[in-house]
Amino acid sequence: MSDASDIPESTRLLAEQAGLAKALKLFPDGVKAAAERGLKPLGDPPKGHVPTASPAPVFDPAAFEGKK
Amino acid sequence: MTDLAYLTVAEGAALLRAKKLSPVEWTRALLDRIATVDGHTNAFLTVTADKALAQAKAAETEITKGRSRGPMHGVPYAAKDIFDVEGMATTCHSKIRQAHRATSDAFVIKKLNEAGAVLLGKVALHEFATGGPAFDLPWPPARNPWNRDHHPGGSSSGSGAALAAGLAPAALGTDTGGSVRNPATCCGIIGLKPTYGAISLNGVFPLTHSLDHVGPMTRTVEDNAIFFHTIAGHDPDDPTSTTRAAADTLKDLKTGVKGLRIGLIEHFYTEDAAADPEQVRGIEQAADVLRKLGASVKTIRLSPLSLWTDCNRTIHAAEAYAIHERDLQTRPEDFASLTRNRILAGGFVSAAKYIKAQQLRAALCREFAEAMRDLDAVITLSSLLLPCRIDDQAAVLKTYDQQCRLVFNVTGTPAISVPTGLSASGLPLAMQIAGRAFDEPVIFRIAQAYCEAAKTCISDDPNSQPRIVAAKAAAE
Repeated sequence: MSDASDIPESTRLLAEQAGLAKALKLFPDGVKAAAERGLKPLGDPPKGHVPTASPAPVFDPAAFEGKK
Repeated sequence: MTDLAYLTVAEGAALLRAKKLSPVEWTRALLDRIATVDGHTNAFLTVTADKALAQAKAAETEITKGRSRGPMHGVPYAAKDIFDVEGMATTCHSKIRQAHRATSDAFVIKKLNEAGAVLLGKVALHEFATGGPAFDLPWPPARNPWNRDHHPGGSSSGSGAALAAGLAPAALGTDTGGSVRNPATCCGIIGLKPTYGAISLNGVFPLTHSLDHVGPMTRTVEDNAIFFHTIAGHDPDDPTSTTRAAADTLKDLKTGVKGLRIGLIEHFYTEDAAADPEQVRGIEQAADVLRKLGASVKTIRLSPLSLWTDCNRTIHAAEAYAIHERDLQTRPEDFASLTRNRILAGGFVSAAKYIKAQQLRAALCREFAEAMRDLDAVITLSSLLLPCRIDDQAAVLKTYDQQCRLVFNVTGTPAISVPTGLSASGLPLAMQIAGRAFDEPVIFRIAQAYCEAAKTCISDDPNSQPRIVAAKAAAE
């Protein structure tokens, strides 16, 4: 197990910015691995994918009016 | 009388209606079996014996008077400990939630109460429905009844184990990246992830709001259709709940598959990732069975499995982190290491990446809908690998993404895991049958025809049951 001093500076800064200083101190390897996974870019989208497409969960204000 | 441990919902309901079995007798038999066998499986976190017997007595009184509340009336079931039951802790199998007390029932628990079902207790899961099996929590992880040294799948691990061990005929699970279908696969039972919105999420502790689904778990397809029909339906308090009337999953259940068009998504396990040859042989044989039953089965292609995985995992990480951020900041040591390491990744997902993943989700949904234009359903593997040893953390970590289940959490469309047999080492094999949104009746119909022909479900035949449990129960 490494200690927090072995963690790349960029990861340390991101972790601290996210309020994860305690997790970084106690579990540096876990935070390092989590950062690698979280920062990994998405794969190439399917052909014809339009990046301006709406997000999947369509917001429907009427859905909140179900119960009066 | 059939062995009450492996009595199905349908058989039990028929016996109850005919007054040849009392709900109290059935409930007591299962409570006795839990006391005898569950030291072997660790399926239950809490057994609600008094409540169960009171509910069974109430059902008995009503049935005796000729009042029927439907096919779950007097039928025992177990609930993953992520569903609120008034007055009980919803622990989510976590130290962090031990002091919690629910102030009301989850919507599906209310539905089951109205249906006269009998809650046997709350069952184990991977902490917060992610990251198990863990040995650094207040309760041990559930074990696989087929071989207790092996992973029962998760996160609805206790639900799968309880069903395979004959401790309950039905159990509630939840599924965000495969958490109903994974234990169904590993334990050789039936697990449905329904269409997003078909079953209310109200009163269920969330993992990932936009990917979470409640799912019924049973030993037979017919039981699953009954259980689904009982808990599905609109909940005005859940904005994600559909206003569509729940489809009748029993009407055409036994009409066969003749003429149905089924797509086989083969590249997930032949090109995109390496699969265990026994799993592959299982689905190949299943495709042959479906052809012999009169369905057409043709190979189709979707985007590579890795893209579906990226999409699911990015949304999962970001939304789960949002739920647990405060605890991860202030008390990270109170999570199991597997859970903490998984959820922490969301702290490093940018808002832009999350939105891109949601946009990718929309593109993948369109792609799937297009592929389904000329099909009634698709089949593919569930797990790529066999259930690994439960104490082999590296192997457990490998299973998280070596699977084809999360694809249908991305699309939000229904998918069911059905057993395709046993491996040479005696561990369950399985495939998924998936379909269009709200087309659960077709999924059930195919699953029913396949399981009836292939006879791969656990039944009252001792040869179909986990041998270790059978041996242990017989010894006692």
